[in-house]
Amino acid sequence: MAITFSTGDLAQATKTSRQGKEARPTLRSTLTGWAFCGPATLVILGLSVFPAGWAFVLSLQKNDLITPSVNVGFSNYQTLAQDPDMFAAAWHTLFYALMYVPTSVLGGLLLAIALNRPIRFQWFYRTCIFVPFVASAAATGILANFVFDEKFGAANNLLRLLHLPQQGFLTDTHQAMMVIVIISLWGSIGFCVLTYLAALQDISQDIVDAALVDGANKWQVFRHVTLPELGPVTVFTTVWQMIAAIQLFDLVFTTTKGQPLNSTVTLVFYLYRMAFMEFKAGYASAIAYVIFAITMVLTLFMVWYGKKTKVEAF
Amino acid sequence: MLTSACGESSGPAGPSTKVVTIDDIKPGTTVDITWWHGQTSDAARLLGRLAREYEKAHPGVTIKDSAGASTTDELLTKLQAGFASDTYPDISYAYGSWVAKLGSSGRSLDISPLINAAPEAWAEFPEAARQTATVGDRIVGMPAVNGNLAVIYNRTLLKKAGLADPSPDWTWDDFRAYAKKLNDPAHKISGTAYSVAGNEDTTWHLWPQLWQNGGEVLDTSGMPAFNSDAGVEALEFWRSMAQDDKSVYLDQNGEKYGQMFNAGSIAMQITGPWVLYDLKKLKMDYGVQVLPGTDGDHQTVGGFDMWTLFDHSDTNKAAVAYDFVKWLTAPEQDVRWNVANGNLPLRSSAGNTPEFAQYVADFPGADVFFANMGNAKKPRPTVPGYQAMSVEVGKAISEVLLGAKDARTALDEAAKASEAELVN
Repeated sequence: MAITFSTGDLAQATKTSRQGKEARPTLRSTLTGWAFCGPATLVILGLSVFPAGWAFVLSLQKNDLITPSVNVGFSNYQTLAQDPDMFAAAWHTLFYALMYVPTSVLGGLLLAIALNRPIRFQWFYRTCIFVPFVASAAATGILANFVFDEKFGAANNLLRLLHLPQQGFLTDTHQAMMVIVIISLWGSIGFCVLTYLAALQDISQDIVDAALVDGANKWQVFRHVTLPELGPVTVFTTVWQMIAAIQLFDLVFTTTKGQPLNSTVTLVFYLYRMAFMEFKAGYASAIAYVIFAITMVLTLFMVWYGKKTKVEAF
Repeated sequence: MLTSACGESSGPAGPSTKVVTIDDIKPGTTVDITWWHGQTSDAARLLGRLAREYEKAHPGVTIKDSAGASTTDELLTKLQAGFASDTYPDISYAYGSWVAKLGSSGRSLDISPLINAAPEAWAEFPEAARQTATVGDRIVGMPAVNGNLAVIYNRTLLKKAGLADPSPDWTWDDFRAYAKKLNDPAHKISGTAYSVAGNEDTTWHLWPQLWQNGGEVLDTSGMPAFNSDAGVEALEFWRSMAQDDKSVYLDQNGEKYGQMFNAGSIAMQITGPWVLYDLKKLKMDYGVQVLPGTDGDHQTVGGFDMWTLFDHSDTNKAAVAYDFVKWLTAPEQDVRWNVANGNLPLRSSAGNTPEFAQYVADFPGADVFFANMGNAKKPRPTVPGYQAMSVEVGKAISEVLLGAKDARTALDEAAKASEAELVN
């Protein structure tokens, strides 16, 4: 049975009639418009566009922000293309993103569905899931440090009680990144749950009722009504979480500082290390531009994908 | 009196300023200087009071004192931002390892002409402190805080393990035997600790043994020399403690071992006098002993933080800034600031003052750190590439202690990787 609801024709009709009434903007309205968006534009220009431009200039220099700089053209980018540490950092970031993004989006969806049902103490569960998101990542990281400490942490104590073998956690090169994924999930799944909860509550009961009247069962309602309605939110949270994954820094900084054996050095942590530990601000700016390019490509792909599949998230 | 001096040789592209002394400033002239002292709470208030006192004695002078950044570590970032926007202070607190970079910034003030005019006070500072402040033929700061590494042990845990307090002539073999005996996995007690965070804290802990074994960090041409047999032996010593004895807690981010020592989970730590204040608050039964020795050499590494001075092409500002720092670091003020605050005095001559006697009574073991100043014979290299080299060495140490590489390979790799940084 096909359940289709077409809203496209209506939207098209509204658009056409609005276009007809549109008047040429007067000088006065233009000025009013700029008066509204001018301050925000200045803030964005000053705090985002200008630093971004300056960072690009920096990326063409050998510059430690202390001694006089030397222009080196694109050699920072050339070095970057052959830097094994950079590739290792990119690989760690990719691994993290592949673990973190799907789990947080899917987990967020499942938890939101569970929490959207009329259950007792619903507010309590919602609060529990959202509180870690409010806590700063720095605090989360410091706390996690003690929980996952190899010798003294609560996690290994628990394993001991359950007669399970002790783990290295953050000190084990194979586990450290996984532990960071778990800590990030704990800290940020509240965000996905919240956006999905809002989207779920936005789904019109009429559509659900109509589907039920047409004879759909619960699974069919979920598959053909709920999921398509959640499409835009899914694209949005995926893009958002992906950007967050690429920018992972604070948790690494407060837990492992890139250790053990650099197995948790992510792109942004590598950037930080270059800029503020090794004083290579020019090289670090080049890394920043590479990260920017990756983020841009991924975001454009997701927007394109959303458009192609007719899921408008932005 | 006029001190004829000019900063023409003041580093690459640096603004040149003719340096005059405070006596040359006409009475009635107002001079404002900015001072980032990097201290918070009690220490900041204490320094503020000293600044007010100086202002009172020097009418016309205003000192704008502030921490400069929320943590001392962030001061460097603030200075970088300050250089970029031309709003840097006249005086800033700086770690010794930053001085070489700051000295070649073209913004630092060369105070050597002033010092050479009246060199007596300068000569009283320990050799290592003077070298830390010197970049090439320029002197860009004066010592602010003095520290060195020694062993602090938990006496309660030693007694429990049936061990006597270590004697001043102990060796690294004794240290290893102590750690092995004190290590108690069942009760989650580690013999000792080493930071494998891979930063300067990781790196500088290796230097004393390198020096004791007859090695050097850099050779005479300024190229890496830490990968000599002496360095390999030092690192191999710690590798065998960490990997074979498993008596070393390897602290991944370098921020835990101090707290764990305070909690009684680590029996001995190699650290500086700055932890004494906390130990006193905890009322812990602890002892301090100089580093274990090699053939009777108990050499340690000293850490001097600095008051670095910056050039604003203003002779009056420069004269006042220098005079203030000179006054602040003079013995009379040093006991009131450093010693009262739990730090070591800057000069060995302070050992005879009543304030110092009170300090030793207040902080048990402070006398050992004080005497240990004599064991801090060599400064860490003050070259601009040190910081980048330190990261490479820190990485090598971590790799070896975690069992991923052998000492020779890791140090050779670190030496090779830091060469490019040291050339410039």
